[in-house]
Amino acid sequence: MYKDERYNNLKASGMLCLCVAGEEEQQAQSKKALKKQQKEAEKAAKKAEKQAKLAAEQQEADEDDFAKDRYGICPMVQSQQKLDRALVRVQDLTPEKAEQQIWVRARIHTSRAKGKQCFLVLRHQQFTVQALLAVGDRASKQMVKFAANLTKESIIDVEAVVKKVEQKIESCSQQDVELHVERIFVISQSEARLPLQLEDAVRPEGEGDEEGRATVNQDTRLDNRVIDLRTTTSQAIFRLQSGVCQLFRDTLINKGFVEIQTPKIISAASEGGANVFTVSYFKTSAYLAQSPQLYKQMCICADFDKVFCVGPVFRAEDSNTHRHLTEFVGLDIEMAFNYHYHEVIDSITDTMVQIFKGLRDRFQTEIQMVNKQYPSEPFKFLEPTLRLEYKEAVAMLKAAGVEMGDEEDLSTPNEKLLGRLVKDKYDTDFYVLDKYPLAVRPFYTMPDPNNPKYSNSYDMFMRGEEILSGAQRVHDAQLLTERAMHHGIDLEKIKAYIDSFRYGAPPHAGGGIGLERVTMLYLGLHNVRQTSMFPRDPKRLTP
Amino acid sequence: MPMYKVKPVSPADIKIDLPTCMYKLPNIHAQGMNCGEHALQNGEVDPALKALEERQDEVLRRLYELKATVDGLAKTVTTPDADLDASTLSRGPAESVFRATADLDSLLGKDLGALRDIVINANPAHPPLSLLVLHALLCQRYQVLSSVHVHSSVSAVPPPLLSCLGPRHIDSYARQRFQLGFTLIWKDVSKLQMKFNTQSMYPIEGEANVARFLFRLLSAEPQDPVLATQMDCWIDTAVFQLAEGGSKERAVTLRSLNSALGRSPWLLGQEFSLADIVCACCVLRAGQTTSAPANVQRWLQSCQNLGHFDCVYPLLQ
Repeated sequence: MYKDERYNNLKASGMLCLCVAGEEEQQAQSKKALKKQQKEAEKAAKKAEKQAKLAAEQQEADEDDFAKDRYGICPMVQSQQKLDRALVRVQDLTPEKAEQQIWVRARIHTSRAKGKQCFLVLRHQQFTVQALLAVGDRASKQMVKFAANLTKESIIDVEAVVKKVEQKIESCSQQDVELHVERIFVISQSEARLPLQLEDAVRPEGEGDEEGRATVNQDTRLDNRVIDLRTTTSQAIFRLQSGVCQLFRDTLINKGFVEIQTPKIISAASEGGANVFTVSYFKTSAYLAQSPQLYKQMCICADFDKVFCVGPVFRAEDSNTHRHLTEFVGLDIEMAFNYHYHEVIDSITDTMVQIFKGLRDRFQTEIQMVNKQYPSEPFKFLEPTLRLEYKEAVAMLKAAGVEMGDEEDLSTPNEKLLGRLVKDKYDTDFYVLDKYPLAVRPFYTMPDPNNPKYSNSYDMFMRGEEILSGAQRVHDAQLLTERAMHHGIDLEKIKAYIDSFRYGAPPHAGGGIGLERVTMLYLGLHNVRQTSMFPRDPKRLTP
Repeated sequence: MPMYKVKPVSPADIKIDLPTCMYKLPNIHAQGMNCGEHALQNGEVDPALKALEERQDEVLRRLYELKATVDGLAKTVTTPDADLDASTLSRGPAESVFRATADLDSLLGKDLGALRDIVINANPAHPPLSLLVLHALLCQRYQVLSSVHVHSSVSAVPPPLLSCLGPRHIDSYARQRFQLGFTLIWKDVSKLQMKFNTQSMYPIEGEANVARFLFRLLSAEPQDPVLATQMDCWIDTAVFQLAEGGSKERAVTLRSLNSALGRSPWLLGQEFSLADIVCACCVLRAGQTTSAPANVQRWLQSCQNLGHFDCVYPLLQ
């Protein structure tokens, strides 16, 4: 038909002469073409019929849809207008707001149609509320159908009346109220097929196996991190992590510390050349900082006395373990002391205890929420913190049947066993191990004054895993050079570092913790990727 | 001529249980049978049976002898043997109570290079006063590293409890310089608990039992068994009747304390001992010491004069 129309038009407009040349070809193909045309004509006729029918039905439907302007898909919010509308948060929907008509913006958690009614569960962060849409004088059949067909995770604006319920709605966080929907509009629609279901992502491991329901494995979660982070467990974990960071800052600021920012692109590897990322730096290359160690110390030599810094740390360690990441957030402390490095240990342990107390007292809701999916023992600690010496630890391990040398470093299984022994005797998940052997510590560690085989260094453990490594630093340029040479380090590369101690340096000590590891161990989780929003490890670079 | 043969109605060899209560007659049909069975009824005894009976008698006799011996022993234990005069029992060597230093290695096990740390978990609502007194005594004899911790199960502890072990030792940063560790942890526990060597020792529960353990470290236990028993007796009285008993039991105990203290300056006689420590602490904790009988008050004053109880009084307020 289309072809014929054009032909007719051409004819009419007098441009037929141009088509004369083609006409013979057309005649040759005319039989085939005719048949084709006939078939197409039939098809088109059928289509037209269908469309006419649908249009007729639609018209009918439209005629009956009195609620047509109370629902729909909004055009994309491009800031077309500034509505002076107050949106109430789901967590504020309480019986006090009963009978009020309010607007709520939330995600569709679930939607279920039952005849003339549609039950929606709306979710905002950890809070859910039930909403009801029933066919009546305010809502039409089409409106209820529209609501039932909305895809999960879509963001909607709902105008509703808050109603009190007699029977508590157990499955929602807001158990005493429900919403009776008047208007419902879609702000952002979600695709129908979700890569993972949120109920599955929150299900505890054991329960999934028992009842044959799915749980989501870690790789799927990490690949679709944006959706995984919406679950109540993830929200709780990262709010708690934010609390850790905030308590760290608050406690140290109250102790008179100054927050500093150190450079992450540096010229020399601070901890040793093996585990460092190289970046191209114009015509040469540079490294990504493995720790803010060197710069913290330079700040002390610059008379800042007590400093701390929060920033990324890059370790190119090819370890695929449950507790290693290639990039993590380091919370580092450095402090000048008067006569004994224990002053610094006391300060650091007190900071940790204040963090634990703050979490225990202010984040119980979050801890309980995480425990629902990942049950664990509550975290126990002593105040003041327990401090054991390395020799005691070795004696305890030997008494428990472990064979090790007096100057040997603790292997990971030994650390875990020691953690259990300490928990048995003192009932604490957090303790300090002091006076490590000198041979296993970095070159800038101050040796013990009474016994050259040991050093003024310490490690702190949570639930049997190491979270902090620290020591009194060598603040004498001469001794530092000797120690560096003893460890076979190229003096040229650390010249600037050694120079900073040549013009009067106070005795100082410090240490650093990993934010993700501390959160993981406090909550009793088993993989550091659960506490890192977008984790980086040797096998993962996105998202 | 073959006769009509009737099939036997019953099998020939049926076993019949003859009744044993009836008089037995010899079988008149069979001959040469053993007449032993009925013969026994006349009082004659079968030699095999006789031997068995004799053996039984022998065994019974030996049993009776043993029983008699045990009874005799029991009597000597529960009541003083008439031959043994208790009043002539010599008291053990007059060791002045806290002068000898014990060999810690023999008491607590070989030193593996680690500080021997005694860990005591106590509820801040019931501070263990007698253990504080013993701590003061231990500090006089050994180099003790004392520390007080608050466990995370307890939210706050009044300041006097934090300093109950006295000021921190100057050398407390060097743990190896000490012979003994005394770590007191204020924790939400129902019963006081002591842990020492978790690999080989069960935790010890109860203030009295921990007190006995610590007292042994001072090697000041009375060598004389009678005195040792009396000491244990007083400790149990203090714990069960003074501390945990009702007001009637307390009154009774105070009266018996009063009468005991009327005879000698201390509960066990001339020497100050663990009995005095535990009883005094229980009396002090029960309160109302001004209304206690005269001897008891004098005795409490003597305890205070010794100086070991200085750590206790600040906690009584």
